[in-house]
Amino acid sequence: MKAMLIDSTRCVGCRACQVACKEWNELKAEETTFFAGKGYQNPRDLAADTWTLITYNEVEVNNRFDWVFGKLQCFHCNVPGCVSACPVHALEKTEAGPVIYHAGICLGCRFCQLACPFKVPRFEWNKVIPEITKCTMCADRVAAGLEPACAKVCPTDAIVFGDRDELIHEAESRIKSNPTTYVHHIFGKDEAGGTCVMHISNVPFEEIGFDTKIPMEPIASKVEHAMKPLPYVLTGLGLVLGGVSWVVNRKKEISKESESGKEG
Amino acid sequence: MTNHWIDMINTDVAMVMGSNMVENHPIASKWLTRAKEKGAVIINCDPRYTRTSSFADIYCKFRSGTDIAFVNGMINYALQNGLININYVLNYTNASFIISEKYSFNDGLFSGYDPAKRSYDKTNWAYELDGGGIPRRDLTLQHPRCIYQLMKKHFQRYDIDTVCKITGAPRDTYEKVCRTFTSTWAPNRVATWLYAMGTTQHTHGTQNIRTYAILQLLMGNVGLAGGGINALRGESNVQGATDMGLLFHLLPGYLASPTKAEQTLEDYKKTYTPKTNDPKSANWWGNYPKYIVSLLKAWYGDDATAQNDFCFNYVPKRSADYSHISLFEAMYEGKLKGLFLFGQNPAVGGPNTNKEIAALEKLEWMVAVDIFETDTSVFWKRPGVNPADNQTEVFLLPACSSVEKEGSVVNSGRWAQWRYKAVEPVGESVSDLWIVDALHKSIKKEYASSGVFPEPIVKLNWNYGNGDEIDRHKEPDVHLVAREVNGSFHKDKDVMILKDLKSFKKGDQAPSFAALQDDGSTSCGSWIYCGSYPGHTPEKNNMARRIKEDAINGIGLYPQWAWCWPVNRRIIYNRASCDINGKPFDPKRWVVRWNETAGKWEGDVPDGPWPPKDKYPFIMKPDGHAWLFAANLNDGPLPEHYEPLESPVKNIMSSQEINPAIKLWHKTNPEGNPVGDAKRYPIIGTTYRVSEHWQAGAMTRNIPWLVELVPDVFVEMGVDLSRQKNIANGDRVIIETARGKMEAYALVTRRFEPFQLNGKIVHEIGIIWHFGYNGLARGDSANVLTAHIGDANTMIPEYKAFLCDVYKKNGGAA
Repeated sequence: MKAMLIDSTRCVGCRACQVACKEWNELKAEETTFFAGKGYQNPRDLAADTWTLITYNEVEVNNRFDWVFGKLQCFHCNVPGCVSACPVHALEKTEAGPVIYHAGICLGCRFCQLACPFKVPRFEWNKVIPEITKCTMCADRVAAGLEPACAKVCPTDAIVFGDRDELIHEAESRIKSNPTTYVHHIFGKDEAGGTCVMHISNVPFEEIGFDTKIPMEPIASKVEHAMKPLPYVLTGLGLVLGGVSWVVNRKKEISKESESGKEG
Repeated sequence: MTNHWIDMINTDVAMVMGSNMVENHPIASKWLTRAKEKGAVIINCDPRYTRTSSFADIYCKFRSGTDIAFVNGMINYALQNGLININYVLNYTNASFIISEKYSFNDGLFSGYDPAKRSYDKTNWAYELDGGGIPRRDLTLQHPRCIYQLMKKHFQRYDIDTVCKITGAPRDTYEKVCRTFTSTWAPNRVATWLYAMGTTQHTHGTQNIRTYAILQLLMGNVGLAGGGINALRGESNVQGATDMGLLFHLLPGYLASPTKAEQTLEDYKKTYTPKTNDPKSANWWGNYPKYIVSLLKAWYGDDATAQNDFCFNYVPKRSADYSHISLFEAMYEGKLKGLFLFGQNPAVGGPNTNKEIAALEKLEWMVAVDIFETDTSVFWKRPGVNPADNQTEVFLLPACSSVEKEGSVVNSGRWAQWRYKAVEPVGESVSDLWIVDALHKSIKKEYASSGVFPEPIVKLNWNYGNGDEIDRHKEPDVHLVAREVNGSFHKDKDVMILKDLKSFKKGDQAPSFAALQDDGSTSCGSWIYCGSYPGHTPEKNNMARRIKEDAINGIGLYPQWAWCWPVNRRIIYNRASCDINGKPFDPKRWVVRWNETAGKWEGDVPDGPWPPKDKYPFIMKPDGHAWLFAANLNDGPLPEHYEPLESPVKNIMSSQEINPAIKLWHKTNPEGNPVGDAKRYPIIGTTYRVSEHWQAGAMTRNIPWLVELVPDVFVEMGVDLSRQKNIANGDRVIIETARGKMEAYALVTRRFEPFQLNGKIVHEIGIIWHFGYNGLARGDSANVLTAHIGDANTMIPEYKAFLCDVYKKNGGAA
């Protein structure tokens, strides 16, 4: 299974990745003013037309000031919550790794947005027939034996693409060789049951824009627990409430009949 | 660059100073990443914590305009602690050379200064010669007037305390920088110096570079893999441009452009051809006559003969400095009628924008050649003006981009890489080659009916495939141009190249500049390119080679990938990478080595084919040695700290506040050139770039994806200053200098910290200069703030340090 490893110690915040993503996926530029977040951040957030975003963070690490950059995008979970939540199977985890979506099938119901622990999928608010969009890890490029556009253009190899197991090994080796540089954790190795976009960093991941309160098991497992009984619950509830309603109505009819009976 | 891009992977210490390399040359960061993987340490020195600083291992802040003090302190650190490669310094530099008794230095001035002319009589700094006309030397380095001793005395004044007082660098970090860098004195350790506009764009820019050269020579790092003095060139083909003589003071191949003082070819040869009496000095510039004559033959062909001085009298003789500032001052005075702008946007990129636009308004005509409509090309209808008020006739010639035409582009490593046309030009746009070809033919036609002294134009040897035809659909043959630049034989000739006699036929392409002659038998459009295209067919175009095999020394030379000048030598001065016996100082990363059995050098093309003991390594100097002491520069043979023209503090090194050799335009041309003082403008201002935009923004401010990232001009300032001024992040502010004011968004950041200077706290702010009034993204140009003041040797404007004030837009001055 393919994955990406993003190393914040190599990222220089140049945003060649943001531009390459828009170029490859033919996404429109958003209208922006000044900067919409800390540092040079633009646009404000991931959006229908913005599938990856660099954050700019002035942080203190080991009593030393540093400017550290984070790359936000879909994590391409191994067992995606969005895939489980989607009622029409518009989202799909491919064998190669990327979590893709079939735009034509998407209902626009936005359950995936609720299910995603990283809050990634975005909605096309501007369109008449809106759909969900997100990073596809350039599944089309990957299928053709190429690396994702962002990995391709990254000038410092902050983004590397390869086999998930090899990348985990690489990440572990970098942390081992530079124990005082890195936070001793690979973000995405186990989060949400493991993801195909993993990060290593010289500062805590919250400091570069990530929500680290992510459960270590697949969201899907939680979603499934909730979703599986749903048809039974709904049907059961329907039957029970229907039954109650019948009983109540029956009682009303009976009392009406007895009242009219009294008068007649 | 003395080295090349890939070579960075070989270094132990990369000093990025005077450059924000990761920001502006991000692709090249790949090589620094590889170097880091191999254990290299990256040091970055900059007034502001940049993207490069975040990439580096050590960051040291220092005040804009104080680079000389900073590096002079490092030189002093090396000298005081004996951290120099003595073998290299003794044998390969002029450290042991003895200087004339007339030399002295006192209170910021070298001997020979004329305060009225603001210039030096450089004969006061000459070598002391022996009876044979060869510079006297003291190989024990004890003689009080030997350069080594003069240097110790000069640099002693730059002790760490003094340096920190001037620069505001934190003492412990500065010491760490000194320690780390000077560790490369050892023969098996090497450092590279990477610099750009932060170095050059000062009134003492040339001397900034001199500090690097001196330090690198003391370390013995010049000529070695992973070493050198490496300018990261800015524009995509600026290296090619300067190679082809596009600077006003040069002819192609870095030959001097003749001045009024050289009326004949003999005068010219005498003035510019250096001589030496030392048989061990190769004195390669001694070949000057061959290169100038071959150039004239390329320009005037058969018409150029020995009898007519090879048409030397057709070459314009300069009587002035025609650099950017000078041209615009002349333009402002109404002395220039017309202007051609090839891919240039001075309304955004030129200093003192208000004055320069006022100058443009005086033109009778302007021809802008560009791929987009630029701010300059629409200066006549810019916001706030009525086009009817302006009399300039403006033409816009649409040029096509680099992917829509064929030709070569030269990178900072001197690699000329041939490129092919990928797509047809859009609309009516055409290549620069077509435009210049058509211009020449049109002007030539006009001369048939009128004009004065037509010969220099009409007699030009000019045929690039289309005769006299101007046809929009017929592209001149760029291969013909390239072959002419390479050079060829105009008659059969036998030539001695080193020890071999080679026979050439009329029409043969020249194989290298060693074959060029001064008798008119050869022509060559740029002697340093001789060898780039040594045959008649595209297969012989060395610039088009793409072979990925490295050389036997495996240091990333890739000798058959494209072609570099000179003669495909990838690391210049590489002879100095070996000791006097031809043995590499650093066998792990050897560049060249002498093979005794074969009787020749192997590895890179050697910088000097001669056996090890025959010649000194620095062959481009008449004395064959690298110059620690450089007596040819206008502002002194050794670097000395002077404050920028506008500075918040007094110079504590001497009573010379500013560079004594710079031209004071505000005195000679006061109109439009006011100078600000620290009372009114207490904050240091500087200008710089971001990754997302390119130069004057004509291209990038019209690309939506880039505009999305950086849509507005902004000024970065520190937290303390913003509190003082009650400015919050995102506020609209005004930045003002004596010359003008601009509006921008304020970006409050911890990356700019105030400087503690000799008891005074000084703030610095920086504005990106990519913006102008034309394009999808618009904003004020930072260059309304900068001044018409330039370097003492090059006249490059001091964009990097000036005085300003900043305040909230609706609050007036704070």
